[in-house]
Amino acid sequence: MSGFDLSGLTASFGGERVIGPLSLKVNDGEQVALVGKSGAGKSTLIRLVHEHVGRESSLVPQELGLVNALPVFHNVFMGQLDRHPTWYNTLSLIRPFSADRSSIKALLKALGMPEKLWTPTASLSGGQRQRVAIARAIYRNAGLLLADEPVSALDGPLAHLVMNELKKRFATSVIALHDVDLALKYCNRIIGIQDGQVALDEHSERLTSADIMALY
Amino acid sequence: MALDHIRKFLVSSLLMTATVTASAETFVFTAIPDEDETKLVERFRGVADYLSEELDAEVRYIPVKSYAAAVSAFRNNQVQLAWFGGLSGVQARRLVPGSEAIAQGVEDEAFETYFIANTSTGIEPADDFASLEDQLRDKTFTFGSKGSTSGRLMPEFYIRDTFGDAPEDVFSRVGFSGNHTRTLRLVEAGTYQVGALNFQVWQKELGDGNIDTDAVEVIWKTPAYPDYQWTIRGDVDERFGDGFKDRVKQALLNLDDPALLESFPRSGFIPASNDDYEPIRKTAEEIGILD
Amino acid sequence: MFSYPTVRTSLAFLAIAVVGLAFADIAITAANPWRDLGNFFLGVITPNFFSSEGLLTALLRTVAFAFVGVALGSFFGFFLALVYRAWPVRIFCAFIRAIHELFWALIFLQFFGFHPLTGVLAIAIPYSGIFAKVYSEILDEADPEPGRLLPPGTGRIAAFLYARIPDCWAQMRTYTAYRLECGLRSSAILGFVGLPTLGFYLEASFSQGLYSDAGAMLILFYVLIATIPLWVRPKLLPVYVLGAPFFLGEGLPIVWGNVERFFTEDIIPSPLKDGEGLSGLMSWAGDLMVEQALPGIWNTVVLTQVALVATGILALLMFPLISKHFGGPVRRTSGHVFLVVARSTPEYILAYILLQLWGPSMLPAVIALALHNGAIIGHLIGRQTNGIRLRPDAVTGFGRYSWELVPRIYRSFLAFLFYRWEIIMRETAILGILGIYTLGFYVDSAIQNIQFDKAMVLILITAGLNIGIDALGRYIRSKLALQTMPTC
Repeated sequence: MSGFDLSGLTASFGGERVIGPLSLKVNDGEQVALVGKSGAGKSTLIRLVHEHVGRESSLVPQELGLVNALPVFHNVFMGQLDRHPTWYNTLSLIRPFSADRSSIKALLKALGMPEKLWTPTASLSGGQRQRVAIARAIYRNAGLLLADEPVSALDGPLAHLVMNELKKRFATSVIALHDVDLALKYCNRIIGIQDGQVALDEHSERLTSADIMALY
Repeated sequence: MALDHIRKFLVSSLLMTATVTASAETFVFTAIPDEDETKLVERFRGVADYLSEELDAEVRYIPVKSYAAAVSAFRNNQVQLAWFGGLSGVQARRLVPGSEAIAQGVEDEAFETYFIANTSTGIEPADDFASLEDQLRDKTFTFGSKGSTSGRLMPEFYIRDTFGDAPEDVFSRVGFSGNHTRTLRLVEAGTYQVGALNFQVWQKELGDGNIDTDAVEVIWKTPAYPDYQWTIRGDVDERFGDGFKDRVKQALLNLDDPALLESFPRSGFIPASNDDYEPIRKTAEEIGILD
Repeated sequence: MFSYPTVRTSLAFLAIAVVGLAFADIAITAANPWRDLGNFFLGVITPNFFSSEGLLTALLRTVAFAFVGVALGSFFGFFLALVYRAWPVRIFCAFIRAIHELFWALIFLQFFGFHPLTGVLAIAIPYSGIFAKVYSEILDEADPEPGRLLPPGTGRIAAFLYARIPDCWAQMRTYTAYRLECGLRSSAILGFVGLPTLGFYLEASFSQGLYSDAGAMLILFYVLIATIPLWVRPKLLPVYVLGAPFFLGEGLPIVWGNVERFFTEDIIPSPLKDGEGLSGLMSWAGDLMVEQALPGIWNTVVLTQVALVATGILALLMFPLISKHFGGPVRRTSGHVFLVVARSTPEYILAYILLQLWGPSMLPAVIALALHNGAIIGHLIGRQTNGIRLRPDAVTGFGRYSWELVPRIYRSFLAFLFYRWEIIMRETAILGILGIYTLGFYVDSAIQNIQFDKAMVLILITAGLNIGIDALGRYIRSKLALQTMPTC
């Protein structure tokens, strides 16, 4: 059960409505791309959905939320802190177990950065940091992915690699994207947001990039 | 992080166990810090060695930083014997029922306080304290320690008794130098114009040639009063065996090592009793140091 | 200029200090203050390192007490920081840190006597309160986002260890290291009340005018503090912390009955013990207030205000000593040495030295407080100016100082100053033990007269005054929107 059906979603900022009221229903197996101008309310909508579906989702926020003082391994491992007893987690902080080490290493390899396993997160580049947050979301392995511009700092081939990985691992997702081509390629449903309202909602096969550009 | 705190916790428990191992059967004594520390340590280590031999027990002297600390250590049974001044002895015996003054110096039966002045003040020595009133008013003045008999209690008593005012009202500035040697040095240097100290310290320093008599002189001597004494706790017999108190008393009275006696300086020790110090108690109550 | 709230506040404090100065007892009473000062400096440059067999032991004990006290303080402070949101905890922490280490030592001396626990607790208790406050400030500043992203059902401990601690770790470590340095100073001055640390021998040497001995001790102490980065290594820390308890010395055994007696008899106001009832208590309290507490409070406040402004002026004068915008490397290095010496010397020791040399008045206390605290603030803002990049054609000399630098650092300067306000008052109160008529004088007198009931009331009043100043300082800092790092 990873889809959701939410209605009456609203958000205001400084007394001004930025989102809604709108309804959003996402079924299992739908991979939704949120598109629209910056400031249209995509990030706010992702946040709202995250609040409403509880935390039974893997979230990649725009600001990533990494613990800079910890190495990559631990930032990724944090996705599964709820699966282990406290003693296990505490021990992992000092000396990780080999099963976790190999699974996280494999995950990083899929994202193109296996050599960074023990690098402190603070010393990574923007694109690497983004992939650490993505790895954490994948490792978390919830039924629903909520991601806000997860590949904004990645160059072409890497962006495709990562989006492909996300598509493969999450049957159901809502991803805010400013790159229209990526949206069309890796998502099966496109929702356009304009002035806080749904201005477009279509299967991606029925859309071309020109249709979407109308929103911008 | 977590490890660090576990370490710290271990430390705290270690601390608790490591510190209870100190030996309980050592006979410990102290003394009021009325003079320079090096002199005290030298003097009382000698006494500790002497007592240790006479009593055939482990005897240890611990130096303290204030008269009150000496009284507290005695009261708390961390020391069992102390060389107190008149006032500190009275305080200690009030707080420890059963404790006794057992010996005093020959000179302590009739102790005196000397008022001294820096010669730049031009104050002339006098036999009659009252005649010095005009010259003393508005000078700066220092006592010794706040808890001293010869350095605080008796001089304050005579100041109040003679001039009818508290010391703060007689003098422009009143300080507490800390001990008698310090009082001597401060008045000699002119930091304070007038001071009051233990006459034995004055005479010993004078004899040793440590006083610049062009800079400081004695201007008045108080009438005699009882002062220093050895006071012992009442429960030492229970702890160190029957007759221990008497053996300590006898050892002190028998002390005849001239070098050791010279360091006090006393010519010898004679028996004393709690009642000998009644005048001190009354004086202290009169000026409000004792409740 | 006068429209700036920071300038108006500064002028108001300056005015208060000037008025305070009129009431303050400022004088040099020594006949030959400069000769004595000269002798002292002569002593420092002709140090005698072999004066006392106990010196090295004292140094070792100083370090041991500091390590054990600071370790326990940080341990308990850390756990208090976790529940610092609860106001009873806040009040409790404000209270325990408002009482100076020396006062704690004087209290514990009454029932633990010369047992190592006295010195350890005297440091650990107030430090717990300080650590609790600063640790909780650091934890509050941690980025909350990683915590929000944790999967639901994550245990609280795991969440804390992964999402909060790592971000705060570096800052907490820096602060703890700084506190260790403070702990060494605290530990040293505990000797002044009889614990077996450096202050014990320092006091003895000074009071006997043995300046070469005293000079040697001071030099050893500066070296000890200046070399902290060399001998306090993260890897060695467990060794030190585990080993320190074994170097505290034996002291004398605790007699537990004394503890009970202290709390059930000694500190009960004497009229209650004597059954004089409420009216007896009222007149007892009234006398205590009029004769001791009020004069003590007045002198403490006057001295604090004068010392605060003197600290500020000195800090502004001293920061160019280490600023890279003035002078060459030689001048800056000597400036560094001067500031390190001034801030490594505890105020209490500085005041003690100056009192011995100049005679008793508030002057030595003001100078001591201003030198120590001014050097600390001067060091912090001097370092801050080194981060400022001036345009290549900026004016030089006094113009650079007054136009380019002071305006830029003034707000953080004020923040540091108001942060230290409470610390200066704590010290002011304690300097009374040396014979200046602040609250500490009356506390010490009460203890010397074996009147612990009075001493406790006066200590509580001192703590209350401190808590008040702390709150006022915080209010002014927030009113002026001044930010400050806790490591000051």
